[in-house]
Amino acid sequence: MENELIREARENGMELLPIDKDTYELFFGPQHMATENFSLILKMDGHRVVKAIANPGFLHRGFEKLAEFRPWHTNIAMLLRICVPEPDVPENIYSMAVDELMGWEVPERAQWIRTTVLEMARVSSYLFWTMGLSFKLGVYTAGQWAAAYRERLMALFEQLTGGRVYHIYTIPGGVRRDIPGDKWLRQLKDTVEYIKSKLKDFDHLVFENYVTYRRLEGIGVMDKKFALAEGVTGPNLRATGVAADVRKLDPYLLYPELDFEVPVLKEGDALARALVRRFELEQDLYILEQLLEMGPPSGDYKVNDPRLKALPRLKVPAGDAYAHVEATVGDFGAYVVSDGKNKPYRVQIRGPSIAHGIRVLEQLVEGARIADVPVILMSLGNCPPDIDR
Amino acid sequence: MADGQEEGVKTMREETIIQKILEKAPYAEGKVRRERRIEFKIPAERIRDFLMLLKEKDFESMMQITVVDWPNDGEYELVYQMWSYTHAVHAFVKTRIPRDLDKARMPTVRDIYPVAETYERDAHDFFGVYFEGNDKMEMPWILDDTEQGLFPYRKDFDWIGYVKKKYKILDRFDEDKDNYVI
Repeated sequence: MENELIREARENGMELLPIDKDTYELFFGPQHMATENFSLILKMDGHRVVKAIANPGFLHRGFEKLAEFRPWHTNIAMLLRICVPEPDVPENIYSMAVDELMGWEVPERAQWIRTTVLEMARVSSYLFWTMGLSFKLGVYTAGQWAAAYRERLMALFEQLTGGRVYHIYTIPGGVRRDIPGDKWLRQLKDTVEYIKSKLKDFDHLVFENYVTYRRLEGIGVMDKKFALAEGVTGPNLRATGVAADVRKLDPYLLYPELDFEVPVLKEGDALARALVRRFELEQDLYILEQLLEMGPPSGDYKVNDPRLKALPRLKVPAGDAYAHVEATVGDFGAYVVSDGKNKPYRVQIRGPSIAHGIRVLEQLVEGARIADVPVILMSLGNCPPDIDR
Repeated sequence: MADGQEEGVKTMREETIIQKILEKAPYAEGKVRRERRIEFKIPAERIRDFLMLLKEKDFESMMQITVVDWPNDGEYELVYQMWSYTHAVHAFVKTRIPRDLDKARMPTVRDIYPVAETYERDAHDFFGVYFEGNDKMEMPWILDDTEQGLFPYRKDFDWIGYVKKKYKILDRFDEDKDNYVI
């Protein structure tokens, strides 16, 4: 007799796989701890995956439609919920696109603050990712360390923006308020030094660990051609040998003045993706050091425009603009269309996970063991809400 | 992708890129929007030819397909957004199709850019644009109780009516369900 759940899923239009006597169907997620709100329907033969269907429709909240009913600046408080580990990225791309439509040149001090916030978000996101990977590998100690170090950055974010996880800090034309003072800068410097000194511990416990190598090496391999055709971006693309980074290719904010490297590996497997992220974490800390050494330039923290004083009535000239930044999950972009009113006409957020979270994941998981599925999922750095906006 | 990619980004002025593309595609209109952003306007039936041409000209990656609804013009604007790692240029390819659900049809481009499959499913789910040749079109991602022909990102979508329909479970216990207001 057909299972009631399966029948209901079929009625709801889900394509389920025919069950023959050698294979069985396994619903993996969305409540499974290893999938992070993501759902996969797997066709299994023993412990091997024969076929996979990604089903991200669990989180849909219609951000893009809601954005059409709200004044320009209030959308920031909603759009940043698209990617929880790194909420500053949607804030920034949306604000940068609106800046372009308004024709605003953001003051230098605001650019410095935005760059610093983005880099802090990157470090915090990589630590969050290290936590996830460590938990999936069973190295719980390292995961808890990463969470604890991330907490330090959270405290600094709280002082800067008033919010711990969601900051709602970057607004069109600059940032919402100035940095709290020199004490905050000193604390940030200490934190950067502290996290940098602890990277060796992560290496010993996770990235140089024999168990990690056995679990990650040769798993979920993709090559350069496949990655480019499938639109994979960010660390996943760099792990296949393409030195592509939005910060270098399409520079924004203060990145042209900063000195950093783009780590590239050629293998394209889960281990390469993990190591690229590990090297990038080091680069991001280095960028933060440079920014702190440079110091915040004097001047305003937002543009001096009378229209900014009445934000709910802010009217944006008609037109369209696209802005993108390099997030830890990949190339994050926002396409904004205005018809000259005080609400956006259309907003589309380009999440990087939509490329590597559906088709690529389905293809990488095929033929893998069930134990490797969470590791592949984690190594791709999937952010489920940004697929199902 | 060009083999010299690792040596460094090849810089080519945006005008030259547009000129080279327009030589092969006289039906298109092109312009430079600003540094690293170019735009083309093409007729909808030439989309496959044009994207094939863009792929030849080192636009390796498709970033997204955006549908913008213009009910006053009776048209959808489709914006295919391409990114070139070789030139570091973002190209908007704009085309317009009728907004009627029977006529809102486009050929699929997923054989040219495989990632387009996902964006086409997205566009179909939310706007009802049908991409011929994409067999994943009938697998919806949005709420399971969405009725056929009801596309939530269209400008004329009835939000309040939709919310009422969504909570079917309430109707079961509500005898006065016709007067039910959320």
